[in-house]
Order: sequence, then C-alpha cells, then structure tokens
Amino acid sequence: MPSATTFKAKWFWYSMLCVLSWGAWALLSKLGSNEIPADTMQFLFTFGALPVAVLLFAARRFKLEKSPKGIFYAVANGVLSGIGGLAFFAAFRSGGNTAVIASATSLYPMITVALAVTILRERLTWVQVVGLGFAAAAIVIFSFSV
Amino acid sequence: MHLPPWFWYAAVVLITWGVVGILQKLSTNYISAESSLIWLVVGFFLLEPVLYPGKALFGYSARSLTWAVLSGVFNALGAWALFAAMKSGGKASIVAPFTALYPLVVVLIAPILLHESITLLQGAGVACALVAVVLLST
Repeated sequence: MPSATTFKAKWFWYSMLCVLSWGAWALLSKLGSNEIPADTMQFLFTFGALPVAVLLFAARRFKLEKSPKGIFYAVANGVLSGIGGLAFFAAFRSGGNTAVIASATSLYPMITVALAVTILRERLTWVQVVGLGFAAAAIVIFSFSV
Repeated sequence: MHLPPWFWYAAVVLITWGVVGILQKLSTNYISAESSLIWLVVGFFLLEPVLYPGKALFGYSARSLTWAVLSGVFNALGAWALFAAMKSGGKASIVAPFTALYPLVVVLIAPILLHESITLLQGAGVACALVAVVLLST
C-alpha cells in the first residue's frame, strides 16, 4: 500500500502526470485518426512533440553530449518510433476497440525483454517470465475476441 | 483464423517499439535521457519529408488537426514526466511499471468520451495485458 509519504513525493506526481499524459495521447490519437490518415497524424504529432524537446534543450542551456554512438542510437530510435507511430495511428483508424488497441500496443516491452535476452545477453527474471506469460495470454484473448 | 487489420498494425507497433526499448538502453549508455529524447525528436523530423501531406492538410477539420498535434504534445510530456520522476528520487523498479499502466486511463475514459464498451472477454485480455506490462517493466 502506498504510504502518506508516497503522495507527498515528487516522483509520485511526475509518474501520475506521465500516466495521464500517455492516456491522453492514446485517446487523442483515436480522436484524430477518425478523420486524419496515419501518415498525416504522424506528421502533425511530430510538431506537437517539438515544443517539449525545445524546452528540454533550453533547460540544458542548449548543450548536448557529443557522443556519436549515443546520438546515432537516439536518432535511430526516433525514426523507428515514428514508423511504429504510423502503425499505432493506422490501428486506431482501422476501427476496433480503443481500449483494446491501447492495451495491445502497450505490450511492446515483451519484445524489448526478448531482445534484451538474445542481443544484450541479459538474464530473464522469473517476474519477467510470468509477465511474458500474461502478454501471450492477452494476445491470444484479443485474437479470439475480435 | 481471420484477424482484423488493427491486429496486424498492433503487431508492427510491438516490434518497432520493442526494438526502440533496446535502442533506448543503448543510447542512454552514452548520453542522458533528456538528450536522448531531444535526438529522438530529430529522428521524428527525418521522416517528415516522406509524411508531408501537401495541400490535403488544409482539408481536415481544425478539431482533428488539434487532436493530432496535442497527441504529440502529451506523448512528449509523458516522456518528460517519466524522466522527471526518475530524477526526483523515484525508483525505476516502481516508476516504470506504474507508468506502464497508462492504458488503464483509456479503459476508464473511452466509455465516456468515445461511447465504446468492451466485452467481458476483451476485458480479460486488457487485464492480462496490464498485468503483463507491469511485470515486464519491473
């Protein structure tokens, strides 16, 4: 159970802001996708993300680390995130239940965990194994409940 | 078995964002989480010339255009809040699974906002998915 100190902690409220923001992001994605095709949604989405990036850049006094490897991975991250974003918007546009699509697409950590084991040679914890089991169950249920 | 189009799109999301999770780990080995987000947005912009809709952009309603831009604002705001939570003393082992619960907001608000309801079976799937992401991000 969260204690009274949890509710006074800054991290708790930042986490809450994160949950609410991402919830809003998924709902707005559905609302926009009713009219706008996926590629245009991703085009506009990028302009929405820009102010936050600029504010972060300003907070860092316009200085960034000069690690070519770090930059390469982060930019590649953006390109791949954008491609995933296209599919995310396309999923909402193609119909289907919004809560189900938001839940199904939130399962991406299962791929991250699987890749972390095979590529980064990380070890699976038993909690993650149980998590993968639940993810598989969710996917099977979604495939039967459409 | 016939699966609807959204299922295949969701599969693409899982694979691409799943790989993104790995790249995120790799990039933050070299640069800070904030810098990583800034460069990520640069990556978004690399796709813009391909996505540019031309004049069609002006054919959509102002309301839908606003939703689309706001979806980007809230996505980036959420990412910033996640970093801020970690930096202000939140343990990753608590913050990560907690923030993975965002679909719950959709589950709670979609019936009111979108007048959508879910079947019992879909509800079971949603519950499994939420348990899964919490356990996987622990």
